[in-house]
Amino acid sequence: MRTDVLHAVRLARMDLKLLGRNTTAVFNVLLLPLLFAWMLSQGGSESFILTGMPGVLLAFAVFMNLVNSFTARREELVLKRLRGGQGSAVAIFGGAGLAALAVFVLQVALLVVWIDRTGGGLPENVPMMLVAAVLGVAVFGLLAAAFSGITPNAELAQVAVLPVLIVALVGSPLVIPLSEMPFAVRLVPTTPIVEMMRMGYGGGSWAAALPWIGALLAWLVVAGLLAKWLFRWDPRHG
Amino acid sequence: MRTTQAADTAERGAVGGPAIEVAGLRQRYGSFEAVRGISFEVPQGELFALLGTNGAGKTTTMEVLEGFTRASDGMVRVLGLDPMKERRALRPRIGIMLQEAGFFGDLTVAETVDVWRGMSADAGRQPVKEDVLELVGLANKARTRVRQLSGGQKRRLDLALAVLSRPEVLFLDEPTTGMDPEARQATWEVIRGLKERGTTVLLTTHYLEEAERLADRLAIMHEGVIHTYGTVDEVVATTGDQITFRLPRPAEPPFLDGAAPVSERGHVVYTLRGEAHPALRALLAWADEMELTLERLEVRRGTLEDAFLRVVEDKR
Repeated sequence: MRTDVLHAVRLARMDLKLLGRNTTAVFNVLLLPLLFAWMLSQGGSESFILTGMPGVLLAFAVFMNLVNSFTARREELVLKRLRGGQGSAVAIFGGAGLAALAVFVLQVALLVVWIDRTGGGLPENVPMMLVAAVLGVAVFGLLAAAFSGITPNAELAQVAVLPVLIVALVGSPLVIPLSEMPFAVRLVPTTPIVEMMRMGYGGGSWAAALPWIGALLAWLVVAGLLAKWLFRWDPRHG
Repeated sequence: MRTTQAADTAERGAVGGPAIEVAGLRQRYGSFEAVRGISFEVPQGELFALLGTNGAGKTTTMEVLEGFTRASDGMVRVLGLDPMKERRALRPRIGIMLQEAGFFGDLTVAETVDVWRGMSADAGRQPVKEDVLELVGLANKARTRVRQLSGGQKRRLDLALAVLSRPEVLFLDEPTTGMDPEARQATWEVIRGLKERGTTVLLTTHYLEEAERLADRLAIMHEGVIHTYGTVDEVVATTGDQITFRLPRPAEPPFLDGAAPVSERGHVVYTLRGEAHPALRALLAWADEMELTLERLEVRRGTLEDAFLRVVEDKR
């Protein structure tokens, strides 16, 4: 267990170093989603949309990036090398998840600065936002692992993630409040993140957040099972 | 309770039993059977070479022993442990050099080694003290990005990463493929050095010279089956001596000790089943009778290559 944690931290640090060296990736993972947030925020109540934005960023930055990275690393036999090394599968996934979490937290921090500058104030319940971030990265990290398993190569990763991105964008209460949307929206995994982030920002109670935490835990199980069935370490033979 | 169990697991591999045991291993991929019931043992501190053509099942065997794939049938143990079920206990004690694996291209060579060194230390292994890049002859490339290395240089970095954690058992899957002769020599030196320190090595190769120089014991594998198994001398002894000569004029050489002459444009080769001495006497008696002087007469003991080719050709 302790070894897994040490390995995961080491791999995450390496991932962040590699990210820093890849200008295209920095742009895609860090800046593009924020640009996208800016575009969306022009179409309605700015602080309402921005406080819900982390939920959608999760799908764009974390999910898309990890599907790309898992697929590319599988095809380049890097996953195989990692698995042949000292780290366990838990450590390898943990490392990828930790790096994604670091990037995500940075994005949310940038959003907070932005919201504060435009008069929306600072968040009141940061721990709730952190819980949402950790659970959200875990769910979408595992979903990314599952999706990489059905993606033949890194070029097709862009296409494979599209349905998830569309559902995340249209199916979460980003622009329209949840109360005015159909019930099914509650089943979309980004919805609990959007809601918890907003509650965290506005000072909502933990009791009100409990159902959303439950929903995320349920998604964690589903995503974990999907990853177990679909994820592959090796490229397809022949 | 957990610590007792862990200590127990560690102890099992430490007692003098073989470092690697394979019994009746079979591996199927769909309807194709890549490995068809092989068995061998590697005593601690020995180097065992698996020889074979491409597709013989060498890599599949390695992958089962390394804990990448579950055996379809049969038993495998490394240091007394099940590579799949007891992976956690086993992993820190073995080193793996895969036939092909990718690197993080944007890391430098030195950074790559640092990450792996750290991973070993995290797992409780004392990484080697000396500079592994010096050891494999890559010290002058330390600051180079890995993606800029040549194929042979990447192979050397591969080796450096595999030996970093001072493994008790080292798996080398075609370690010198793509290396120039000098790098190959250097790699053999590294492997010999590890063996001197008591590392058990399982090596696959299709360079016969590599096996001949390094292996204590070897097996020749073909189409998923081990055909020949033993020390280099034992395996070579299974191939008979060879007699070759040139005929000064056309003639029909006799059978010698049951071996037929293979003749091509006056050049005759016998591959004997037994000793050359009686066969040679019979041959010379025939030559005297025919009043022939055999030119460039040579007697050569069998080689590993003969043993290898015989296995491969027998099955065609």
